[in-house]
Amino acid sequence: MVKALRGLAPFVVLVAAWEVVSRSGLVAEIFLPRPEDVARTGWAMALDGSLWVNIAASLGRVLVGLVVSVPLAVGAGVLVGLSRRLAVVLEPVAGFFNALSGIAWLPLAVTWFGLGWGSVTFIMVNTVFFLVFFNTLVGVRTVPRVFEHAVRTLGGSRWHLIVQVLIPGAMPSIVAGIRMSIGFGWRALIAAEMIATSTGLGFLIFNAQNFHQTDTILVGIITIGLLWLATDRLLLQPLERWTVERWGLVSS
Amino acid sequence: MTWRETAVTWILLLAGFFAAWSVAAATLPVPAYVLPAPMAVVEAGRDLVVKGILPTYVAESLRRMLTAAVIAFAIGVPVGLALGMSRRLAEFAYPVLNFFQSVSGIAWLPLMLVWFGFGERTILIAVNYTVIFPVTLNALLGVRSVPRIYVSGLRTLGASRWRIARDVILPGSLPSIATGMRLGLAYGWRALIAAEMLVGAHGLGFMIFTAQNFHLTARIMLGMVVIGALWLVLDYFVLRPLEQATIERWGLIQR
Repeated sequence: MVKALRGLAPFVVLVAAWEVVSRSGLVAEIFLPRPEDVARTGWAMALDGSLWVNIAASLGRVLVGLVVSVPLAVGAGVLVGLSRRLAVVLEPVAGFFNALSGIAWLPLAVTWFGLGWGSVTFIMVNTVFFLVFFNTLVGVRTVPRVFEHAVRTLGGSRWHLIVQVLIPGAMPSIVAGIRMSIGFGWRALIAAEMIATSTGLGFLIFNAQNFHQTDTILVGIITIGLLWLATDRLLLQPLERWTVERWGLVSS
Repeated sequence: MTWRETAVTWILLLAGFFAAWSVAAATLPVPAYVLPAPMAVVEAGRDLVVKGILPTYVAESLRRMLTAAVIAFAIGVPVGLALGMSRRLAEFAYPVLNFFQSVSGIAWLPLMLVWFGFGERTILIAVNYTVIFPVTLNALLGVRSVPRIYVSGLRTLGASRWRIARDVILPGSLPSIATGMRLGLAYGWRALIAAEMLVGAHGLGFMIFTAQNFHLTARIMLGMVVIGALWLVLDYFVLRPLEQATIERWGLIQR
C-alpha cells in the first residue's frame, strides 16, 4: 500500500506542474487545458459512454488479434521448426515481415479490406502473427537436440516430441513474443485507427484534433497509457515470469 | 546444412513464391489493383527510381530517423544516467518515464498537430519522443543494474565520484543503453512511417499512403519492401552488432 502510494507520488508532482503551467497563462488554454478540465471531460465521456465504446473497440481488436494469431503462429512456428532446413530458410523471411509489421501494411490493408473494422484488425492480426511466429521458431530452434534425441530414444512419437519437448521448451520465447507483439501491435493499432476507421481510441483523439478539443485528446492519451500499463503489469509481466519459472530451465 | 544447400533452398523457395504470385495475379478474378503482378512491382520500382522520387523519399525518411536518433541519444543517455545515479531519483522517475514510454509518439500526434501544425517539426518531435523514452529508461535501468559492490570497491580504493561514474557506471550501463537504442529505433521507425502518413510531408510513409488513394498498389508493395529492407539492414548491420559488441565487451559485469 505504501509502495503503491509512493509510485503515485511522481504523477502527483507531474499533474501539479501541469496545473501550474496551465494557470500561469504562458500557454493558451486551447493548447493546454487545465487538469481539472481534462478530468471533467473524462468524467463526462465516461458517463455518456463514449469513452467505454472506444475502449471496447480498441481492446476488442487487440483480443481478436491475439485469439486469431497466437494459435496460428505457434502452430506454424512449431511445424516449421520441426525441419531444420525449412527453419533456417524461413527465419529471415519471418524477420523481414517483423521489420515490416504494423502500420506499413495499412495502405495495402485498406486496398484489400476497405476502410473500417477489417483493415484495422488486419494490422493487429498481422503484427501479432509474425512476431509470435518468429519467436516460436527461434524458441524451437534453441531447444537442445539432446532432449529431442532422448524422447525419440525412449520411444516417443513426433507428437510427444512436439507437445512435451518443443512447445514447453519454446514457451519462454513464445510468451516474450506475445508480450512484444502486443507492445508493437497496440502502437500500430492506435495509428491505424486514426486513419482507417471511426471507432477506437486512435480515432477518438485524431478526430478531436480536427476540432481542437485538446481536453478530449488528453483524456484519450491518458487512457491509452493507463490501459497499456495495466495490461503489462497485471497480465503480461506475471505471465512472462510464470513461464520462465515453469519452463525456463529447459533451454539453458 | 551447408551454405550451398541453404542457397539452393532459398532460390527454390523464392522461385516458387514468385511463380505462385504471378499465376495468382494472372488467373484470380480480381482487378490488377488488388493483386498486381510481381513484374508490376519491379516496374513501379524502376519508374520511381528513374523519376528520382524513391531516392528522394528514402533520403528524407532516413534523414528524419537519423536526426531523431541523434537528438534522442544526446538527451536521453545523459538524463538517464544522471537519474540512475541516485536511487531515490530513479525510483521517482521510473514510473513517469515508463508511462510516457507506453504512450507511443503517434498517440501524441493529434496534440502535437494542434501545438506545432502540420509539418516537418511535428514529425520530428513525434519520432524523437518515441525514441527518447526507451533510451532514457534503459540508461537509467543500466545504471541501477551495476552491482553496488563495484562502486563500493572503487570508493574504498579512494576513487572520486567522477572516476566511479566514468569507469564503473558508464561501461556497466552500456549494454542496457544499446538495448534501449535498438528498441527506441524500432518503435521510432514505425512511428516515423505512421507520422509521414498522417502529416503527409514526403517520405516513405507518405509515398505508400498517397499511392493507396490512386490505387497504385504496385507502388505500395514496393514501398513496403523498401521500408522492411531498410529496417533489416539497419538492425542487422548496425544495431544488433552494436548491442552484441557492448554485451560481449561490458556485459559480464552483471555476473
